[in-house]
Amino acid sequence: MTALLEVKDLKHTYDGNDALAGVSLTVDEGEFVALLGPNGAGKTTLVRSVISLIRPTSGTVSVAGGDPAHAAVRRRIGVVQQDVGFPRTLTVGEVVEGAAARAGVESAAAERAIDEMGLDGLRKRRSSDLSGGQQQRLQLAMGLVADPVLLVLDEPTVGLDVSARRAFWETLAERRRHGAGILLTTHIVEEAAAVADRVVVLDQGVVVAEGTPDELKRTLPGRQITARTGIPVETIRTAEGVVNATSRGDQVVITAIEAEPVVRLLLDLDKDLTDLVVATPSLDEVLFELTAPGKKVAA
Amino acid sequence: MNARMLRLEIRDELLAILREPTTLFFSVLMPVLFYAMFTAMFGGEGSANAAIIAPFGTFAVLAVVMMSPGIGLADARERGWLRVKRVSGTPLWVTLVAKVLAALPYAMAVLLAMTTVAVLVASMTIDIAVLARVFLVLVLGAVPFALFSLAVGARAGTNASAAILNGVLMPMVIASGLWFPHEIMPGWAVAIGKLLPTYHLAQLAMAQIEGGPWVGHLVVLGLTVVVGAAAAAFAYRSARP
Repeated sequence: MTALLEVKDLKHTYDGNDALAGVSLTVDEGEFVALLGPNGAGKTTLVRSVISLIRPTSGTVSVAGGDPAHAAVRRRIGVVQQDVGFPRTLTVGEVVEGAAARAGVESAAAERAIDEMGLDGLRKRRSSDLSGGQQQRLQLAMGLVADPVLLVLDEPTVGLDVSARRAFWETLAERRRHGAGILLTTHIVEEAAAVADRVVVLDQGVVVAEGTPDELKRTLPGRQITARTGIPVETIRTAEGVVNATSRGDQVVITAIEAEPVVRLLLDLDKDLTDLVVATPSLDEVLFELTAPGKKVAA
Repeated sequence: MNARMLRLEIRDELLAILREPTTLFFSVLMPVLFYAMFTAMFGGEGSANAAIIAPFGTFAVLAVVMMSPGIGLADARERGWLRVKRVSGTPLWVTLVAKVLAALPYAMAVLLAMTTVAVLVASMTIDIAVLARVFLVLVLGAVPFALFSLAVGARAGTNASAAILNGVLMPMVIASGLWFPHEIMPGWAVAIGKLLPTYHLAQLAMAQIEGGPWVGHLVVLGLTVVVGAAAAAFAYRSARP
């Protein structure tokens, strides 16, 4: 695999505070990497360093082997940024044609990007009159116009409804099949878990965990077991491997290091047990555990 | 490729002006009304009015080029649209030059409106070649003011830019004798006015109508271009994206 994006030991200091304190990550050809973390973790600073909007204090960023500080390299990146408002006076068609001109590609590429993002019927509409979801699609159309090798998407699905979001992910999947790498930041953790090959968790400017969504879920000890049973919780708590057990009406909720021995025990003790559910921690829970103050775990 | 980008940027800037008719209306109408009012108060008959086109033409041009580029830049920055341009690889000079160049035909339109009023209402007579020279001086001489406007717009917000630019423009206009002749102003105001580039622009335009020395005025405006360009580039580069 060729690394389309290579970030090495990136540091960025704002007014004496370390927004990034030595971040390294890669995005390979055709790979989808989700960057997660709480507010202020440094995600947007990292994204802005990758697209060369800010100059890092130290460290390097390489896109397709080149420095994104050079305009020619930057034109190989398709970008969706947060909080972009379009000029009041330009139409959708004019905005995407402008993106084509800035990227140095033919106007026909603008037409294709407009069609690809389903904006054909809005071509003559003033861009600032679009809904939030339509504006996100317009930004992606601008980002796709030059057939980029790397897509950098900072909270791209904010404001998109369910069908627009699905269409959005389908477009990205198509781009991945053609080899584009994708770096995504999002607050919608389960969305990231569903679409990303790899998740990088950033907190206080450092990478605190990295792996596939499943690998990250396995970093949290324990499984959650719920069942409808008459076994007293006090009995369950004494069982080996049980971390905690509470009752909720006629249900028990058990946290255990391993699910299997506990489930066997429950079935042995209560033949009438029903509604048994064994759940692994969600990525949301993992993220919380990784980034909550004083709760950091090594991954 | 940069030429294509520049064409596109200028087109976008001109569309921004043409598609905001309210702004266009007031920025054209206000200087023309001022001209009509002050001509009635201070102007003479016939060709005597020609002299007054220099200070009022200067005011009309400055009202456009001091406000439009800077406020437009501040608005684009606040919207995040400048970030889009930076990421797309649009060179700094393309963004800034497009804003300045787009303001010039706008300024020319205001001058034409004012001249039309002067000819039709105030019976102004002026040689067409002289008028062309006045227009050329005013439009090209407006460039440093457009650059200063960009320097403000690169750092201040949209509303703050409008306030700052108005706050700078109006005292300069008055002190330079563009509204009231220096003859009726206090000496200290005249002394300050003669240091200002606005004064030198008006005098350079006046020299096209009435003759007289012009090299010193040109030198001052040339230096103002250098200072304005450096300020605009520095402010734009150092503005937080």
